[in-house]
Amino acid sequence: MESSTNPALVFIRIFLALIFMGFVYIIWPYISSVIIMLIFAFLFTTIMLKGTDYLERKIRNRGLSVLIMTGAVTSVIIIFISGFASGFMDQVRDFSTQLNQEQTVARMNNTIQNFSASLPDFIQETLPQNRNFADTLKSNIGGLVETLLSFAGAIGSFIFTTIMVIIFTIILLHEYHHFKRSLAGFFPNRYFEVGLRLMYNMEKQISNYLHGQLLAAGSVAVLSIIGLLILNFMGANLTLVVFIGIIAGLANLIPLVGPFVGMIPAILIAFMNNLGSDAALAHVIFGVIPSPFYVLDIVVMFIIVQQIDNNFITPMLVGESVGLHPMMVMIALLIGGTLLGPLGMLFAVPAAGILKVVIQEIMFVSKNAHLL
Amino acid sequence: MENAFWTNVFSRWNTSDNETVLTLKQVPVFHGFTNRDYREIEKLIHERNYKPGETVFKRNAPGEGMYVILTGNVEIFMEDLSGNKNTLAELTNGEFFGELSLLDDDIRSATAIATDHSKLLGFFRPDLFSLLERNPELGNKILLNLAKVIGTRLRKTNELLTETQQR
Repeated sequence: MESSTNPALVFIRIFLALIFMGFVYIIWPYISSVIIMLIFAFLFTTIMLKGTDYLERKIRNRGLSVLIMTGAVTSVIIIFISGFASGFMDQVRDFSTQLNQEQTVARMNNTIQNFSASLPDFIQETLPQNRNFADTLKSNIGGLVETLLSFAGAIGSFIFTTIMVIIFTIILLHEYHHFKRSLAGFFPNRYFEVGLRLMYNMEKQISNYLHGQLLAAGSVAVLSIIGLLILNFMGANLTLVVFIGIIAGLANLIPLVGPFVGMIPAILIAFMNNLGSDAALAHVIFGVIPSPFYVLDIVVMFIIVQQIDNNFITPMLVGESVGLHPMMVMIALLIGGTLLGPLGMLFAVPAAGILKVVIQEIMFVSKNAHLL
Repeated sequence: MENAFWTNVFSRWNTSDNETVLTLKQVPVFHGFTNRDYREIEKLIHERNYKPGETVFKRNAPGEGMYVILTGNVEIFMEDLSGNKNTLAELTNGEFFGELSLLDDDIRSATAIATDHSKLLGFFRPDLFSLLERNPELGNKILLNLAKVIGTRLRKTNELLTETQQR
């Protein structure tokens, strides 16, 4: 006990810690991508662990269970991404072709002018005069198609990262229980059982949180698809409904900001599909509020889905799995967003949850130090 | 001279029991299992080394699992309020302790200290629960053996109680 309070020893420990932090700071640019790959692999491992364990129970072979599980999940992700990408590209291409037709351009300019003329004077004054809306849009869409095609260049690095994440996930899933045991091997005898407790609690916390979030995301996706189909029934003319629903569900994984991100593809597609339609432009919601291209309908639908999710689904599925105060969630999101952008926001809440477990365990240990 | 490469390649063919499996076979909690079962349990076992006088766990500390002595000696004791030591057991190779913690997360009822350089095998509750999820057949075999151990101990306690009452 005395050795830990020795000032010289404390000074040496602080000095070593600073050297270590400096070393990490220097090598960070070289290792950051690998660390992010490992974090993703760890997340996928946590998500797939229960399924793999279940399969292992049925077929009595860990290696085969891991291959079946990763193969199935990878196939679903590939089918989803390729399906959505080709569907969305077709949509953008059709829209671009449509814009090149003179008749559509004239009609669109006409409807836009009619719409702006119907707006109150004070709004009209803020709009630019003598504009050719269709030409501006045409140049922007041309740019969008080029941007989408330029993504092909980045696909090489994306494929490499994806393959590495899959390989790491397969290794982690196969050796998960062995890795856990090896990690426990580093705990000194005195803190061994406490260390094991901390490790298992953290594992449980992360697993519960991720499974709860995924179930909530799935529910949001299903509710969004139902909502979008209802809007279609009302004449919204939305396509790629299943994909939009799944994207909304996945965006929901990022608290607070995600739901708004989920609306964007739906609004874009509503805009592309209904441009040039007088009925869509003149559409009103609740009989009074103008909602051109069903934009407001989509926003209202997503707000309803969010309310159902926030008040019924998430409390039921995720519940107190992380048990953080909403204020702490917001602070964690801000810090995560500032440090790592959207990726940081995705990891912020589980990271704060882990930190909470660690603090709880440290407090427990410090209270029961006489028992160690 | 033995070639390390071929030794590694054919290491899986070597089916002779190692020290850990031989020790586990002596423990009633792990009796009557197949070689495959022992290999599975071996993956969950934590091997720990203790110096003489080092504490394995203290009384009233939360318990996480049981220990089997691979080599060495362990003393189990309780201290009363005035610090007098009451030794409950002195255990050696192949013997086990702390098995009740596999079933509940209650506190330890006594202190365990290594009295010699000791190598212990730890088997912990979360690993047992994880095994029950992945391989319920093997997990249940362990639970059944554990129940038998506790049942035998309860019967002995009852006999002792009866003897004491008769005196």
